[in-house]
Amino acid sequence: MAVSRSTRKNDLSMSSLAPNNAPLPWADGPYSIKRHGLTLTNCASEPVQTPGCIQAHGALLVLRLANLTILQASENTMQYLGEKPDNLLGQSISKVVGASGVVRLREMLQPGHPESSTMYAFTLPAHSGIAALDVCVHTTDGVVVAEFEPTGRTGEPQDKDIFSLVKAAISRLQTAGSLRDFCQNVAREVRSMTGLDRVMVYRFHADQHGEVFAENKRDDLPAWLGLHYPESDIPQPTRDIFKRIWIRPLPNAAGHLVEIVPLANPDTGRPLNMTHCALRGASIMYTEYLANMGVAASLTMPIVVDGELWGLIACHHHQPTHFSYQVRSACELLAQVASLQLKSAEQNEQLSYRLQLDEVHQQLVRKAALEGDLMALSDSQPSLLDAMDAEGAALYHLDRWWCAGQTPTELQLDALAAWLDQRPEFDSNTRPVFVTDALTGLYPAGADIAGVASGVLAVRVSRLRKDLILWFRPETIQTVRWAGNPDDKPLVPGPHGQRLSPRGSFELFVQSVKQRSLPWSPMEVESALRLQQLIMEIVVTRAERLAQVNSDLTRSNEELDAFAYVASHDLKEPLRGIHRYAHLLLESSLAQDTENRKRVESLMHLTERMDSLLDSLLHFSRVGRTNLEFQPVDFNEVVAEALEMIGVRRADNSCTIDLPRPLPTVLCDRVRVREIFSNLLSNAIKYTLQMCPRIEIGYLAPQEQTGALSAKAGTEKRTIFYVRDDGIGIAPQHFDQVFRMFKRLHGRDEYGGGVGAGLTIVEKLVQRHGGRVWVDSNEGVGSTFFFTLPHCEESKP
Amino acid sequence: MIHARPILVVEDSDEDYQSILDAAKHCAVLNGIARATSGDDCLRQLRALADTSQALPAMVLLDLNTPQSDGREALIQIKQDARLRAIPLVVLSGSANPRDLNFCYANGVNAYHVKPVNHALHLLVLQKVFNYWINSVVSPFEPIYLA
Repeated sequence: MAVSRSTRKNDLSMSSLAPNNAPLPWADGPYSIKRHGLTLTNCASEPVQTPGCIQAHGALLVLRLANLTILQASENTMQYLGEKPDNLLGQSISKVVGASGVVRLREMLQPGHPESSTMYAFTLPAHSGIAALDVCVHTTDGVVVAEFEPTGRTGEPQDKDIFSLVKAAISRLQTAGSLRDFCQNVAREVRSMTGLDRVMVYRFHADQHGEVFAENKRDDLPAWLGLHYPESDIPQPTRDIFKRIWIRPLPNAAGHLVEIVPLANPDTGRPLNMTHCALRGASIMYTEYLANMGVAASLTMPIVVDGELWGLIACHHHQPTHFSYQVRSACELLAQVASLQLKSAEQNEQLSYRLQLDEVHQQLVRKAALEGDLMALSDSQPSLLDAMDAEGAALYHLDRWWCAGQTPTELQLDALAAWLDQRPEFDSNTRPVFVTDALTGLYPAGADIAGVASGVLAVRVSRLRKDLILWFRPETIQTVRWAGNPDDKPLVPGPHGQRLSPRGSFELFVQSVKQRSLPWSPMEVESALRLQQLIMEIVVTRAERLAQVNSDLTRSNEELDAFAYVASHDLKEPLRGIHRYAHLLLESSLAQDTENRKRVESLMHLTERMDSLLDSLLHFSRVGRTNLEFQPVDFNEVVAEALEMIGVRRADNSCTIDLPRPLPTVLCDRVRVREIFSNLLSNAIKYTLQMCPRIEIGYLAPQEQTGALSAKAGTEKRTIFYVRDDGIGIAPQHFDQVFRMFKRLHGRDEYGGGVGAGLTIVEKLVQRHGGRVWVDSNEGVGSTFFFTLPHCEESKP
Repeated sequence: MIHARPILVVEDSDEDYQSILDAAKHCAVLNGIARATSGDDCLRQLRALADTSQALPAMVLLDLNTPQSDGREALIQIKQDARLRAIPLVVLSGSANPRDLNFCYANGVNAYHVKPVNHALHLLVLQKVFNYWINSVVSPFEPIYLA
């Protein structure tokens, strides 16, 4: 808004400086809107306090305070007071109100009376064809302003008791829960008191643009609830006046303007300050706007909270009407009460919003603490989006984005996060928060995302891991809804065209909020920071717990090492002793007996078996603990090495090793992968009845995987490697068992024996690479062992 | 006949010690064989020899896992002691763990052998050790001080 506002200001000063432009009509001497007029370009500096004119439905006299001599008179005094202005100027007011009126006025105007406060003085009775007039007076700048308006009363006792009406209305105001309900009540009460066609509560936003926040209207009129208007629709001078008066009646917008004679006070040479005049002439811009809307009369009361103009109670009527002094007083009172109560309604609403935000945030944090990560913030109920008044939220955590609602794409988020990371706001350790309602002003690349993210509220959770929480507000225009179609209203634009119409206003408003969102309230920013604090606390707690778990793991690793050592040395030492004595027995005379000899040989055999079991156990425990060393490894070489290790050469006639196509080069731990292949290959050679077994080694790229195979490989597609044999095969019920430690499906000495640790070690090695290993087999036909190595990447050729 | 310098065997297991004696006999080793049953015992004996300027052992056969201060500690102490570090030091261990292997070579061991459970193989390993370190290698007679 700042940008467009200053642009407009510049336009204004340009036009007043431009040589071909007329000087402002009020630049020299007293001004009369009736005489000098107004244009769209200069209305922001219009002297609305001194328009020099009044509305035509009453008459006005300006009296010197000291002696109540008439100094100025409206040019229509003949109609209401029976005398032309010339016959009144310089005369005592007694000529109009009589001796008793003067006495009453002197009573009211004694020293100490409130300045600028309009007081009802008395009613002049009807006489000689002139209607009865209510007389109200107030003082300003050493003069008394006396306003004469027809009472509008018929004389019959049908007039309502205004006091009890106001009292009832005020008591009904208090039943509202939310701020909007409260404002709806205000609109309803004002309308029921005035009987006007439409009553709106108009609210100014932080950027000064207005919105129809509550509305009560005749059923057949289109709803304007939710319409937004640019700041310029209610220019600053008008806003200033509304901070000082409580009511602004305009009973006949199309009525004539009546000039004050003379325009300047003869004592001071200054124009009359008409701020507090009920009859003050209306701005041409305003009446044209009303006329364009088909509105004939308006009544406006300001809502002032803490000295600031919060909004307006704006009433429209489609026929010229009459606002009696009593009704005006009642409305004034209602507006004052509404102003006072609105403050507490607003505070309540803020408080309950704040409580709701904090409650939801605490729930989120509790959940996050329970689940051990921050994903709960975005993907569960409630989410980050539930509390904050925003359309989108994004969380950067564990090196990825978690989004809720309407957010930019991940690529756009990446760019935005990189930019935010450089912001000075994020250097703060205590308040790492960035907030804007016009992102593109600071971040031109944000133009692409202005639609969803003109407003950004961001808190940094962890600089190290670049964890971030972002909330997004769309461009204001995306959140604004027209209530009803503005094109439905027949429009007969005035001399200033479409601009002075709700439609024109809306278009200007759209321009003024381009790439801007509704602003973030300080309370929302504080709440975001509190959430950040809470998250920091769980992050710190988690870090401490992780450190504990880490040290526990280190300790248990050390214990495993100690155990492994015990197994390798302390268990083997007695084993060696047993074997030694058995050996000695075999050489002794005892072994000359065949039975004894066999027994001793069995003893030695068992000892050796125990030895190899211990070796496997040790090896397995090492596989799980040693770190992997990743390097580019040509699988063709690794397979060749593995074959050499198990004593097979591809050229041998004893078996056929078939590679349908060359294997890829992969980033992995060469030694471990070689062990995977050597175990699988030695099994393939062992468990067969073929004279010349045929073994196929190959792989399937992700796009080549189909059906069950693709499902086995997991969600993230990886290359699947396989070793296929034409051996004895495995029954399906044993598919899982083959991977179990020391599990053998066959007799101890069948198929070359073995302790049954090979596949367990293969599984462990594959798991160390983040992968899976599985088998598919047909008994008597052959087996295929498949495995993936997700932690490895195929290196680019 | 010149009395060959003795061989110091650090071994707490009587069976393993007996196997060593068997292997030495088989290889016709003439050196006397002294025994220490712990790393501490080994250091005590070696330092007593050095302190009284007696001839040092022709070699030390060290079992890595002995009670009290274990073989590892004895290894470190021997190789850090200027008077003792020239003695050929051969480790005999039940462990084939690469960690043990790396530790010993990092601390200056002259050779590392794994003791097999199979007695025949065990004897074979010991015979190789004696044939090499006693019957083939020429060992220094005096302590070697680094310049």
